[in-house]
Amino acid sequence: MINVLAAAEWGGKFEGVLDPINSLFDFPAYLLTDLEVFGINLGINRTILISWIMLAAVGLVFYLGTRKATVVPSRFQAFVEMLVDVNRTIALEIIGPKGLKFVPLLTTFFVAIFVLNFAKIFPLFMMPPTSRAAWPAFLALTAWFVYIGVGIKEQGFGHYFGETLFPPGVPKALYIILPPIELLSNFVLRPFTLAVRLFANMVAGHILVVITLVTIHVFLPSMPVGWTVGTMALIVSPLVFAFELFIIGLQAYIFTMLTAVYIGSSLEGH
Amino acid sequence: MIEAITLLAADSPGGIELFPDWSEFIWGSVAFAILLFGMLKLVFPKLNETLAERASQIQGKMEEADAKLQEAAASKADYEASLADARGEADRIIEEAKAAADALRQEARTRAEAEAQQILERAEASVAAERDRVLQELRGQVGALSVELASRIVERELDASTHEALVDDYIRQLSSQN
Repeated sequence: MINVLAAAEWGGKFEGVLDPINSLFDFPAYLLTDLEVFGINLGINRTILISWIMLAAVGLVFYLGTRKATVVPSRFQAFVEMLVDVNRTIALEIIGPKGLKFVPLLTTFFVAIFVLNFAKIFPLFMMPPTSRAAWPAFLALTAWFVYIGVGIKEQGFGHYFGETLFPPGVPKALYIILPPIELLSNFVLRPFTLAVRLFANMVAGHILVVITLVTIHVFLPSMPVGWTVGTMALIVSPLVFAFELFIIGLQAYIFTMLTAVYIGSSLEGH
Repeated sequence: MIEAITLLAADSPGGIELFPDWSEFIWGSVAFAILLFGMLKLVFPKLNETLAERASQIQGKMEEADAKLQEAAASKADYEASLADARGEADRIIEEAKAAADALRQEARTRAEAEAQQILERAEASVAAERDRVLQELRGQVGALSVELASRIVERELDASTHEALVDDYIRQLSSQN
């Protein structure tokens, strides 16, 4: 921890100093530690438990909010409907009327990413599962499979890949350089950027929150030298939390919206 | 506590792990799949059913409201038409009443004038009769007085007819003098 603070103090000379930073993210398994399937250890660590609890909570909220859904909604039902409505708006505005059947998927993406990010500033957890590579990778891969699957289903295999790699209406000479670029941008960079954007934001946010809280924890009690720094960190901490809350929502929205954009492009073709 | 964390940190390999942890990936995908399944099977069917019901109810209510609005417009037109009729009727009745009142007033005036005329005529007749009567009486009394006066002066009795002729002459003289 002190190394983290030191690195922050030294203006980002991370090399050598911040090696132990992975300990802020990587937690050892403490349940089913010996469970192995096909040589993969399936031990359950803190990150997995946090993600389960968060997803179970969001599932419960949606179930209870719609279980006794009535035409005139209660406040709780109206809240759940509002969350769905955000995603319905995304689907309708970006994909169009065909996007309505993707509303459940987009809603699940949105609320899951939101609560997994939210664990970053949720007092019991203070650790976003999306700051581990596994979650962004899984979510991006899911989006990838969905938009390619939709493209193949709607346009047919040959037509979808043909039109994507050889976009019509382009001078013939460009067909020499366009297919590799299109291949890279549509099938490699899209999922990669989806995952990295979420991952990097959550890593940075987690480090920021940890630095703020550890600064308060370490400096504030050490009167009289550290109190200035500690007090400043204490004053700034609500702003940091508010900023992180903004990033949490923004990243969930961006991921959902871009997934909708990719699905939309697969539906329409070029 | 800080020492313990530092020790833990010192044991970790360098840098943030950039590759997915398979255990997290698999358990995470299972959790996500369950959530998505729950959304597709439990949440959205119920929600969509409610939304469809709400849409149809709103549609129904709007149509009902439209119908009511048209009905209200029709009633308003009816009401205005009857109001206009009633106003016309009222105007007509007022006109009639005015005309009747005028006629009554005219008749009353005519009758009053006639009565006044009659009263005047009766009064004139009565005044004339009274004057004649008084004149007659006066004439008689003057005659008697004159006879009495004359008899006292000449100290002789005149017979009735002479008496009367004298008096008449006297009166005539009086009248011509007047």
